Amino acid sequence: MYLTETQEQVREMARTFADEVIRPMAEELDREERFPAALYDEMAKLGLFGIGVPEALGGPGFDTLTYALVMEELSRGYASVADQCGLVELISTLLVRHGTENQKAMLPEILGMRAKVAYCITEPEAGTDVSGIRTTAERDGDGWRLNGGKIWIHNAPVADYGFVLARTDKDAGNRGMSIFIVDLHADGVEKGPKEHKMGQRASQVGALNFTDVRLSADALLGAEGRGFHMMMCVLDKGRVGIASLAVGIAQAGLEAALDYAGTRKQFGKAISDFQGVQWLLADMAKDIEAARLLVHSAASKIDSGADATKACSIAKCFAGDMAVQRTADAVQVFGGSGYIRGFEVERLYRDAKITQIYEGTNQIQRMIIARELLKKGARA
Amino acid sequence: MKILVPVKRVVDYNVKIRVKADGSGVELANVKMSMNPFDEISVEEALRLKEAGKAEEVVVVSIGPAKAEETLRTALAMGADRAVLVETDDAVEPLAVAKILKGVAEAEQPGLVIVGKQAIDDDSNQTGQMLSALLGWAQATFASKVEIGNGSAQVTREVDGGLQTIDVKLPAVVTTDLRLNEPRYASLPNIMKAKKKPLDKKTPSDFGVDTAPRLKVLKTEEPSGRKAGVKVKSVAELVEKLKTEAGVL
Repeated sequence: MYLTETQEQVREMARTFADEVIRPMAEELDREERFPAALYDEMAKLGLFGIGVPEALGGPGFDTLTYALVMEELSRGYASVADQCGLVELISTLLVRHGTENQKAMLPEILGMRAKVAYCITEPEAGTDVSGIRTTAERDGDGWRLNGGKIWIHNAPVADYGFVLARTDKDAGNRGMSIFIVDLHADGVEKGPKEHKMGQRASQVGALNFTDVRLSADALLGAEGRGFHMMMCVLDKGRVGIASLAVGIAQAGLEAALDYAGTRKQFGKAISDFQGVQWLLADMAKDIEAARLLVHSAASKIDSGADATKACSIAKCFAGDMAVQRTADAVQVFGGSGYIRGFEVERLYRDAKITQIYEGTNQIQRMIIARELLKKGARA
Repeated sequence: MKILVPVKRVVDYNVKIRVKADGSGVELANVKMSMNPFDEISVEEALRLKEAGKAEEVVVVSIGPAKAEETLRTALAMGADRAVLVETDDAVEPLAVAKILKGVAEAEQPGLVIVGKQAIDDDSNQTGQMLSALLGWAQATFASKVEIGNGSAQVTREVDGGLQTIDVKLPAVVTTDLRLNEPRYASLPNIMKAKKKPLDKKTPSDFGVDTAPRLKVLKTEEPSGRKAGVKVKSVAELVEKLKTEAGVL
């Protein structure tokens, strides 16, 4: 195996924690659409948030491959939990790379889940095409004034700080956007109601509105006008995270289907004795393994410093499509039971769908893959 | 006070055990191995005593193949300070383990040895008792509660009739039972830190111990399968079978 002893050890820890703590509560969290605050406190104590944050800044300082291993295992427990881990990873990566000393001082609070964060990009007119954002930050004395609105923001209903992409120069296109750290308890911030989603229902998602929110000069993260660029630079890691999450969902589906096929009897024998069911199981296993290897390869590329854009898009696109198709197969193995609320595979199928949509739709991933191919050739 | 915790690398408790075709033992090739669960409880107890200010250092020791280093790293990641690997590829029987541990204890001079009551592979339940006899120290086996006093330890033991509480003079050997505590998960920062913690390597001959087996395994076999049950039609029939077939009435 190509993993180091430490990576194996981290994976084992995340796997055991997911089996013993996360997976048993997933059904309830899904049903109640509940934010699992106590679980996140426990995970924070175990250092499961901000996996890549260097030791000097209060994190464990692991590489991207280790992050991918943890994301898969947490997601095998419950995808919403992994997505929280992914969100903190992105925000903390931005802070480590671009934060001032003052801003980096937030890291222990964020990694400890005492300060909950939201990454605020999407707007009604700007989803996949980020350049369409209408939220603006205008100079106001030595600080800024924020106006606009965001939708479908993960953690918005519970978050303390928003990392908000806003336009600071309306004529500068992609170079006219900046990221601001916004106190979501400040005057002028209004939180919309929680959305009720198809899957990953423990993730709290909602709208944020900003009316003349006064920001200090220190609220600006990184350089003015570089927000879009900074955001794009963490996307590779974000895609590895979501790809891992998709693999974890599918793996949970395979495990459930394998167990069920061995115990469910029809025509006097276990349904796993029928070749039709065996082929479903085999196809699930081979595609999961392929997706996992794509993810590990993309993560290793990031860690080696190589250009990982195409590899990350391939991994995310393949893993997301795979997760939807193979959790559908898991439902198929369960037959009628798989269509009933309370059976894990029913939830997994719903949880998988969003992995084709968020962190760049799989259509966008294909555009990126094609663009890279056309620019650099078939072997690059 | 220093606490010494022996840990053993065993077949993971989730693994479905298979007997080798020649009956010489169980299949260990390509089988997941992990720390003996009773030893995890021992490590946890030692760490809790350290966190409560009753001990200054927790040293873990394992006797086994080079791969046992992984088991020691797991203990270090849980929070142990230092590790000793006594490396051998031989199957070491409880008496030889106890003799080696005596050597380690003499070198380390711990105030307390906390060891699992048994390992889940051979279920011998001998090492702790043998070690205490060899060292001439007090022993408190099957602990479900440990409290450190002044020069002594109060240990609640799980015995057949219930719970027994005894006082033992330190240094002592305590063997742990299942209900003593729930072991923690190793945190990610501690897994990272464990890589840098010291791990000494020794061999049985460093302690002058001959590990040649004293016992001979005649054969290893699978437990016989459970026979299918029968359905009875009436209470009378059930009582009849309990009397005549089961012989319990």
